[in-house]
Amino acid sequence: MLQFITKRTATLLAAVAVSSFAVFLIPYVTPGDPVRKIIRSRVAGDAIDASSVQALAQNLGLNESLATQYFRWLGNFFSGDMGLSYVSRTPVVEQVLPALAVTLSLVAMSLGLAAAVALPLGIISGLRPGSMPDKAITGVTQALIAMPEYWVAPVLVLVFALKLPVLPTAGWNDLSSAVLPVFTLALRPISFFTSAVRAGIIDAAAADHVPAARARGLSHAQSIIRHVIPNGMVPLSTLFAVWFAGLLGGSVIVEVIFAVPGMGRLLFDAVINSDIPLAQGGVVVVVALAVGVTTLADFVHRLISPTVGGSLA
Amino acid sequence: MRSFPRPRVLVAALATLALAGCGFSGSQPGPDQGTATADPDQRIVVDNFRAPVANWALESDAAYILSLSGCLETLARYDQAEGKVVPSLATEWKQTSPLDWDFTIREGVSFQDGTELSAESIVAALNHVLDAKVPARAFNRTMISSVSVVDAGTVRVSTPAENPLVPYRLASVNTGILAPAAYKETEVDPFGHCTGPFTPVSEKAKQSLTLDRNENYWGGDVQLAGAEIRFITNGATRAAQVQTGEADISLSIPVASLATLKGAAGVTVLGADSPRTATLYMNNGRAPLDNVDVRKAIRDSLDLDALAASVYEGAALPATGPFAPSEPWAGEGREQQKQDIESARKLLAGAGYTADRPLEIIAIVERAEFADVAAVIQENLKNIGIPLSIQAKEYASAEPDVLAGNYDMLLSQRNRLIDIADPIGFLTADYTCKGTYNLSRFCDAEYDRIIADAATTVDTTERYKLYAEAGRILQDKAVNAWLVNEQATDAIRTNVLSYVQDPLSRYVLTAKTAKSAS
Repeated sequence: MLQFITKRTATLLAAVAVSSFAVFLIPYVTPGDPVRKIIRSRVAGDAIDASSVQALAQNLGLNESLATQYFRWLGNFFSGDMGLSYVSRTPVVEQVLPALAVTLSLVAMSLGLAAAVALPLGIISGLRPGSMPDKAITGVTQALIAMPEYWVAPVLVLVFALKLPVLPTAGWNDLSSAVLPVFTLALRPISFFTSAVRAGIIDAAAADHVPAARARGLSHAQSIIRHVIPNGMVPLSTLFAVWFAGLLGGSVIVEVIFAVPGMGRLLFDAVINSDIPLAQGGVVVVVALAVGVTTLADFVHRLISPTVGGSLA
Repeated sequence: MRSFPRPRVLVAALATLALAGCGFSGSQPGPDQGTATADPDQRIVVDNFRAPVANWALESDAAYILSLSGCLETLARYDQAEGKVVPSLATEWKQTSPLDWDFTIREGVSFQDGTELSAESIVAALNHVLDAKVPARAFNRTMISSVSVVDAGTVRVSTPAENPLVPYRLASVNTGILAPAAYKETEVDPFGHCTGPFTPVSEKAKQSLTLDRNENYWGGDVQLAGAEIRFITNGATRAAQVQTGEADISLSIPVASLATLKGAAGVTVLGADSPRTATLYMNNGRAPLDNVDVRKAIRDSLDLDALAASVYEGAALPATGPFAPSEPWAGEGREQQKQDIESARKLLAGAGYTADRPLEIIAIVERAEFADVAAVIQENLKNIGIPLSIQAKEYASAEPDVLAGNYDMLLSQRNRLIDIADPIGFLTADYTCKGTYNLSRFCDAEYDRIIADAATTVDTTERYKLYAEAGRILQDKAVNAWLVNEQATDAIRTNVLSYVQDPLSRYVLTAKTAKSAS
């Protein structure tokens, strides 16, 4: 147990260090002057006075060496200070935390919906592979993979906001405003979750202990409920965690289309505007959460998985 | 007062406001206007195209959001219909010496926190903008030497050199006046500190700004109970919201949504010329484009009608030169450039151009339509024997080469009125020999003389004549090929009353803006 936690803590720290440094370098390795990008994010227009560029670079310490800038940020970070956004000139934490809360809600609802839909479909499909219901479920869920969010979202707006005006087109105000973004974001996880559950159920049903349980007197239904379904759902825990981690910063398309003020939009804008402190703060939080969630999933997986045998070494 | 856990945040930058463009054809009334009755209990929802990102610093584009929402006011304001600067928080102004302008302060004006507008508060507000680390384009120490109190009712603005455009600069939203309490050590707090018809009361970060009617507005009764400004960056979403009625006014409607909105019930689409002309910049400092005949040949080869109709789907008009025809400085007799392949071929042959010097065009990816525009130009140039390759680049990545003159042609567009409601800044920066943004690398002594004259000409009519003359030189020398004049397009619900479209989206909500009950 201790070894497991130590390993994962080291992984977390390494991931934070690598990702924050990679984000830090983005404005410098991509074409264009980072200072001009920052100015353009504050005021419109292409023509920028050279004296303004110089003044801002000095004000933000961007004339110093990259190493100095990075280690200063790292020092501040470990003392609990994520710094000020270059663009907004406000504390990074004040922007990251509200955005994170929004994205956590959005992702939790989306993956919850996906799991709620995928579980019964995957079980039905996996218990009778090759049947008509299995073929229908597999066909539909596979088709969902091919539907990108930038296409699904406008179609949903067209149907549910414009043609049947029952839902708002955008915003993040109440539960009704969450319906379309949550549904859009849930579609692809539904597909992957269903496939995973189906495969898990098929594997679990073929395991040796299921006939043994039947031989001990359990009915078919009892053996399914006690042995097949629980074991068939094991792969879902890992997949859920992977999707959760991925969507923390990867729901940008949905957030832009539905005007959801979440982490995806925040990070996208930060990178576009060369807002290094905001991008670093946001990425570090997302990476830490992602590592934390996948670690937790591993932990749960090792506890419940018969194949891993409950080892936490 | 702000109703949410007060973020010290709230930032500025409404950079893309310029994207809304600006124009001169004014506004159109909605179908119900004139018959419907204003309901003073109504609130209005405006979809704006960008969120504030700079903690409301007035030197940033955040000032546009405060201005369009009817909170922030300036000493003077630009009247689109009149085409001139008119009084606002100042009742009059006069040039008292070559370097000094005195502004008389309007009496009886209070900030929304109850403190009185005074010469001292105005001087403090303007000095705050002047002292900004990244100064405002319209109002900074390069053109303003000081702002001082003359007496209780007068503020003096002094310039380092004679400058007839000081009132224009004081009409820039960046020179908005807030109460002294608004200026904190590291932030600007506009909540309860404006003078306008609407008072900001709460904000949802990155989502919306809510305002209530200012019951004590100096400019008369306010016709709406309040407003919500939503920050919707996606153009299709803005269009959908005005169509469903979730928004009453949606600013900057994208071309792709126009056809749907024009046929939608309860929606009026408003269009006006913007101060943006999509332009094929040509590097006058590098062969073969240093030859005026080659540039003219390229210009003559272009089919602007087809370009406007196809790529812009009719939402832009073929250009007639560096200015939109409706601009007061466009001059008389401007005619659209017609495609003339024969003339272009002759000019090319006369210039000695051969196809072994292919050209390259940079299409800025930030404007998605430029890829298609470049493809049309490629086809047009092929007709006259110029092979053209297209490079799609982000502006930031193209900028170093473009500023250094290492390019042939660039597709871009500039807001001519980016700083003030007068093109002097644009004409100086972009086309004078020492211009700080002279991408075309154009240099002409006569042009420079005209612009220098214009910069010191107080009489507006005379100044506009000089601009027209400068524009004619640019056109005659085919410095660039001006392609299409973009249109600023807003959409409003038909129960919105007294809405006057401002193509620069500086003034959207005013005391007169109203809404009927249905």
